[in-house]
Amino acid sequence: MKLIVTDIEDFDFKIEGEHKVINPQGNIKHCIGCFGCWAKTPGECVIHDGYERTSLDMGLCDEMIIVSECYYGTVSPFVKAAQDRAISYVQGDFIIKNGEMHHKHRYPNTIKLSAHFYGEDITEDEKKTAKDIIEGNAENFHGEFNGVYFYKSKDELKGLKL
Amino acid sequence: MTVALINASPKVKGSSSGILLNDLKECLGNKVDVEEICLRTSKITAEIIEKLKKADTWVVAFPLYVDSLPSHLLACLKQLEKMTWKKPNLNIYGIANCGFYEGNQAEPALNVLKNWCAKAGCAYKGSLGIGGGGAIAVSGNMSGKNSLRANIYKAMKKFADRIVKKEGEANKYATVAFPRFIYKIAAQNSWRKMIKANGGKTKDLNKRLDVELTDTSVNKRIVYEQ
Ligand SMILES: Cc1cc2nc3c(=O)[nH]c(=O)nc-3n(C[C@H](O)[C@H](O)[C@H](O)COP(=O)(O)O)c2cc1C
Repeated sequence: MKLIVTDIEDFDFKIEGEHKVINPQGNIKHCIGCFGCWAKTPGECVIHDGYERTSLDMGLCDEMIIVSECYYGTVSPFVKAAQDRAISYVQGDFIIKNGEMHHKHRYPNTIKLSAHFYGEDITEDEKKTAKDIIEGNAENFHGEFNGVYFYKSKDELKGLKL
Repeated sequence: MTVALINASPKVKGSSSGILLNDLKECLGNKVDVEEICLRTSKITAEIIEKLKKADTWVVAFPLYVDSLPSHLLACLKQLEKMTWKKPNLNIYGIANCGFYEGNQAEPALNVLKNWCAKAGCAYKGSLGIGGGGAIAVSGNMSGKNSLRANIYKAMKKFADRIVKKEGEANKYATVAFPRFIYKIAAQNSWRKMIKANGGKTKDLNKRLDVELTDTSVNKRIVYEQ
């Protein structure tokens, strides 16, 4: 399954194969840093607003594709809130990987992670930061980095086939 | 000179960001005036703006969330980018603390703050990236100087001096004053305590929403480095 997480409300791009799209449907609440998704209701966010099970969607997908406005080299608040609310894709326990600390797996899948960023004046520094962050995400999810792509506007995204 | 100490952790109390800002406040002493601000939601209120306006330097302290900034802070920065009352050449410093042991895992997130400065017309002056945030959170009632925050406190002292002189430097990284394997075990214990306090069992910690709890084959297949 392909999991698309995007801030585009009327998202209607061509997507091949089985997929699920997470996009703004009413307001998303932001993470409050309580760690309930690790040690109260493991695997699920304690805030029930329709976005509490994104980590399960991540556990079931083989590819995760982010389509987001670029905010200074990272994703937009909607996409970020969805990501923050889904950290229970991994467990709270730490492990060491390539000499660095990361979290233990909860799900056995390997996510191929890519991101498509749009925005009028995405700078070279922002592109570099965006790549570093998405690579970092892939590492933390025990997944594979599958590229970052940049577009000058939402319109330019139109031809995109996912 | 007025420094705004901005706590962008969404936690209402007991945040590591708050503890680190207290250390910074102590290090700044009476050399500067301080405005303390909390950014806990996605909206910059009129009250926050009034406080920010007084400052010629902002220190933004935040937790690392998924290798980046918490979503509400991104929303706040977007609003602040466009606000025209900001002083020209406002100095921006950051303090990113992260759950992982290595403070430099916060580097890309600090670059987001740096990129924001470029768009907002502010002067990025360098930051502290701090590891071991989980331990910092439980050390709030200890003095920074000679506790598990000792190394961090040393870095904070230098950081405070730079802030007073309005000096810029490359980001610096620090972590808690005990070995990584102890931090790892302490974290493990704290999750087990917390799940039990919440009425659950240790084995619930690796619960998957798609299979029965008894299927632990996933965890058995993976061998981790020590
Ligand atoms: C949603 C979420 C995402 C997180 N992502 C990371 C991460 O990518 N890397 C990391 O080292 N710590 C991560 N953490 C841990 C926090 O950075 C850590 O607990 C920090 O000390 C919290 O600071 P605070 O008390 O100031 O909010 C995350 C925590 C949460 C709640």
